Amino acid sequence: MIAVLASLALAGPIEDAQRVELDRARAEIAGEVHLSAFDLIDELVYGWKTDPVFESSTPVVLAGVSVPVGLGTGMQALVENHIAAVLAENPTSNVQLVHCPSCTAVVVHSGPEGTVVSRGIDNPAVLAELGGATGKHALFVDLEAEGSWLVLRARITQLTPDLPIVWSHTLATSAATPALLRASDQLKSADEARAEYLAALRSRGPLVIPVRLSVRTYARPDGGNGTPPPPFLWLQTGAELAPTDARAWTSSLMIGGAFIPQAYQGLMGQARVSRLLTGRVRSVTRPDLYGFVGASVMTVWGPATSSFQVDPLNADDIVAAVQGDGPRSTWGTLQLGLDLRIGNRIGVGTFLETLPALRRSQNMGDYIRVLGIGFQGFGTEVTACF
Amino acid sequence: MTPLLVVWAGLPFLNDPSPGVLRSKRAARNLDCERYSAQTGSERYPGAIRPARARGDYVERDAVMCAERLMRPGLREARDEAILTELEPLSRDIVTKAVSLRTDLADRTWLVETYYPSGEVSSKISFATKNALMGQGLAVSDRVPVLGVGDVGVITRMDPDEAYPTACLRYAATGTLREGDALLAVVSRDARETILHGGLCVDGRWTWIP
Repeated sequence: MIAVLASLALAGPIEDAQRVELDRARAEIAGEVHLSAFDLIDELVYGWKTDPVFESSTPVVLAGVSVPVGLGTGMQALVENHIAAVLAENPTSNVQLVHCPSCTAVVVHSGPEGTVVSRGIDNPAVLAELGGATGKHALFVDLEAEGSWLVLRARITQLTPDLPIVWSHTLATSAATPALLRASDQLKSADEARAEYLAALRSRGPLVIPVRLSVRTYARPDGGNGTPPPPFLWLQTGAELAPTDARAWTSSLMIGGAFIPQAYQGLMGQARVSRLLTGRVRSVTRPDLYGFVGASVMTVWGPATSSFQVDPLNADDIVAAVQGDGPRSTWGTLQLGLDLRIGNRIGVGTFLETLPALRRSQNMGDYIRVLGIGFQGFGTEVTACF
Repeated sequence: MTPLLVVWAGLPFLNDPSPGVLRSKRAARNLDCERYSAQTGSERYPGAIRPARARGDYVERDAVMCAERLMRPGLREARDEAILTELEPLSRDIVTKAVSLRTDLADRTWLVETYYPSGEVSSKISFATKNALMGQGLAVSDRVPVLGVGDVGVITRMDPDEAYPTACLRYAATGTLREGDALLAVVSRDARETILHGGLCVDGRWTWIP
């Protein structure tokens, strides 16, 4: 008895936690599949537009919407709303949704054959007695998760005593198929939507022209004796090439310039190779993250560029730089970074940069050391692509 | 949800869907996989699979496309999950067999009744079966044959082998199943099985669909 009570006491919180976890998982799946469900509904209504079930606008009662077993009524409400919205936007489908409370209400009918408890829709004879929607049509929609497929079944039944099914259809979409996100007032067939998607993929072309604004900062020296260079602002442009439409790999060649009056001027050339990290194909609907490695050559001159030297900066160097054109420094760098691309138009990136020629410079330190390589520079950039 | 997984036949170790070091048995069981030729795969999944070159590839390539099941294991009863995963082929199979078994019933109005422990799953089985019957070009009705309380009380105490023929007999006797009707019953006979059985009730005679 004590063992049973103990097990019950222990079982309570564990079961609650499991229930919460199951609810969370169900909500997550419902969130993931509801766009696919909307696609199937769009496809259903598109089918009615191109091949109408009724010759003229016909009142139809939305008699039942069921969602995958286990996904709850929240998704059911979403689906019902979407059906109503799409049908309202597409009157040429000839399906006119009507409200019929007595159809969906549970009715109790006693007759010589016995007492029957049912929904009004399932008993049109009772509906007729109630003065309800007999002669109208009822639409039933069912969605079910069958393996990796989301399947929509629909049928329309005439609300006469014989309840004949006048139309039915089954549609399916795979979990691997991205949602089409069609506008409800401009429905397209799945084939047309796919053609548009492919066109969007291909119209990007292999070559884009990026314009990039970047800021580079340099680490302070460890000892604190030297003077680090000021942040450098660069404007770059060039060409970015991808070998395939998937744009899994891209490479770019860019030139750039920096000009701050009374401070510094500079020129640079840069080459990069980027690899898509979030999938195998560049998406047209969500951001994509690239990792990249690159190399660049920079030359700068002006009063504020004196720190690009190995020896510590002293007062004489600063005075000489201010009085004349200042020193000219040229060096090479290697970069390692991440670039977040949005819609093939905007990019936001960040990178670490190592300056091998200035690795012993007493005017700058390392932000981070990885495998013995010190990264003296850190940069952020914003890119617009044309 | 990771919807898609591509495995090149030449590089099976990279994204192998089978259980192993990189994938647990539980995760592997949650995948639905299908093998495609490079050509078919590139048509179905453009961008993800490169089509064969115009002059052919140096090696023969194919791809296995895997998609995670929508419902994770454990979210539904195991038996319901097994039935619902195969709902379309199961219902289509029963309908095809029923129609080919009794070609003389093509002019009748078909009714569908499902006997499954869960009401929610039952309605889905009925829905799929009705759509499959409509797909065969048959006249189908949403009517449901009903029995009186006394009949139900007796029949539910019978052995299943007796109960279904008796229910069929009573449907015809009470007139709830008319002369021009044919009732296709979809039955789950054992709690341990993950298939569905079909039975036909026509003019008061019950026939199991083999």
